[in-house]
Amino acid sequence: MNPTYMILVYSVWFLATYFVVTLILILIANRKSLYENRILKDGAPFPFVSVVISAYNEEQKIEDTLKSLKKIDYEKMEFIIVNDGSSDKTNEVVKRYLDDRRFTLVDNSNNKGKAACLNQGIMIAKGEFIATMDADSMASPDILKRTLPYFDEHAIGAVTVSVEARNPKTLLQKIIDLEYIIGLSLFLKLLSTFNCLFVTPGPFSIYRASVLREINGFDENNITEDMEIAFRIHKAGYKIKSCIDTKVQTILPNDFKSLYRQRKRWYSGAIKTYYQHRDMIFNRKFGHFGFFIPFNIILITLGIVLFLYSTYLGLSKFIENVYYYHYTNYNFFENFFDWHFDILAYSGVSVLSFTAFLGTLLIMFVGLKYARVAYSRKKLGMLGYPFIFFLYQIFWIASYFAVIRGRKVKWR
Amino acid sequence: MAMKKRIKSIFVLGFIITIVLLSIIIFVNKTLDKEREKVIDTQIEEVINGFNQMQTLLGMGDTYGNRMTCLIFENMLQDLDKSIWELGQKIDKYRQTSEEFFKSPYYRQQKKFFNEKEVFYLNLLRGVKQKCGFNQPIILFFYRNSEDCKKCDDQSFVLSDINEKIDEEISIFSFDIDMNLTTLKILNQYYEIDEYPCLVIDDKRYCGMQDKNIIMKNLCMIANISVCPEYG
Repeated sequence: MNPTYMILVYSVWFLATYFVVTLILILIANRKSLYENRILKDGAPFPFVSVVISAYNEEQKIEDTLKSLKKIDYEKMEFIIVNDGSSDKTNEVVKRYLDDRRFTLVDNSNNKGKAACLNQGIMIAKGEFIATMDADSMASPDILKRTLPYFDEHAIGAVTVSVEARNPKTLLQKIIDLEYIIGLSLFLKLLSTFNCLFVTPGPFSIYRASVLREINGFDENNITEDMEIAFRIHKAGYKIKSCIDTKVQTILPNDFKSLYRQRKRWYSGAIKTYYQHRDMIFNRKFGHFGFFIPFNIILITLGIVLFLYSTYLGLSKFIENVYYYHYTNYNFFENFFDWHFDILAYSGVSVLSFTAFLGTLLIMFVGLKYARVAYSRKKLGMLGYPFIFFLYQIFWIASYFAVIRGRKVKWR
Repeated sequence: MAMKKRIKSIFVLGFIITIVLLSIIIFVNKTLDKEREKVIDTQIEEVINGFNQMQTLLGMGDTYGNRMTCLIFENMLQDLDKSIWELGQKIDKYRQTSEEFFKSPYYRQQKKFFNEKEVFYLNLLRGVKQKCGFNQPIILFFYRNSEDCKKCDDQSFVLSDINEKIDEEISIFSFDIDMNLTTLKILNQYYEIDEYPCLVIDDKRYCGMQDKNIIMKNLCMIANISVCPEYG
């Protein structure tokens, strides 16, 4: 093996293993406080909450979202739905709810983009706390009573919740469902324990209104406004907490094309956000966050380089083998079944890859256990979970290219 | 403050655990390397023992008559060919996993020793063939390292493929010219080889890359091999 490749393999393995081991240690150390079971009790002061939703061509899905809003167990709240110049009947669906005085519709004739619409909603919101929600997501009835107690000190700027899949049907959705359970719930909870939560997920997050106004709301030029705002919350000196006692359900991409679109948006947005806030990198002022971000960037970038390098080596080997076979009349399968297992035929890289695979399985099982999800309910997703990351590497590469070439990645 | 300290100690512990895991993996890899050395050494030893037994048998044939010893020779040749083939396969497989091992002076010395013994075995085999009237074709494969001879690996692949099927009916000897052995230099000069890869099939020279069809046709011209009907 060539030395550059070996250095790359060992570096990625070391960083990834350190990351996983540390997260598991944090999980073990905090296992009793993951579910804090905090809830606003009757008699406690109930602050006014505004829920802001930006909707674009959501006539099929927004009805369920609005119904879920009505079911939220909370007295003092308002719902501001900003129609982002939809060409379908989104506004008509929302209008049916306007009899309920808690609902307000802001009907834009032009498409302004999600962040601009959320800012419009924030401008008119009366709440002491402002929750933002996606128009295809369904909030749990206890979502406000569970999240508001987390704002127990002034330094808490935002609180996130568990993001789960809504009726995953296809195999792809079942795999992503698992990824959401582990990645968008438990993982974010663990990051919040050392103040490194780097995203306030779009499906539902709740902010202190004064903080949103202090940092001038969402960045209208950023395609991942929910990530970018998290950086500015940290920059302004506030913390982001995670509450996994409650959840929001969201619709998952149902095919590879929509998954690709979603991830390209996420990853391109992430790259731009990292660049936009490069002053935070290795900046002690931002505590662990200032170090977690560059660690993440290095790990992702080295991972991509390793993936490209391995693909190149694998393809070269494959072409070389095919070339060999042209001397033997392409008898690929003649000796196919003569294969014998010999552990000594496996290289150091194979041993590292095997441990990395075991690490992924460990994350999956530990993640599901602590997310309180029965393995039996996620069997199909578990089969595909360890392999989905190869696909994401391709999406990361595409996103890097899109950013480098200055391509504008669209929200929809 | 206590929380910060706790997080810091977790980061340090995570680092220590990762270092321990990495050390275990490096240890496992080193152990595997040593095991590979051992396996190849043992197999080389077995083959060389086989050569020695053949030499003894050849001597016995002179005393006790060829009829008895030739029968034993036939079985022995098949076993030895199989062992050499398996050894070659293992070396090829392990070469891809641990290049360091195959560049080590120890391995090069072993290979030199083995090549020397192969020349000795070749001479024995020729003697046995004459004595017992065996018509098993002998293929000599002269090669150089892949940097100087791009086609040598290709030729080796083709020979492996052929041997996979008719291992018991032919004998292949692979000689690495870069080993600089005097015995190999003599063979090289005898067959007037100036291009690599080069095959000598029953004393006839075929230099340059030879594909499977050509080799099989040439083999079938000199011996009745089981797969010959496929090659006209």
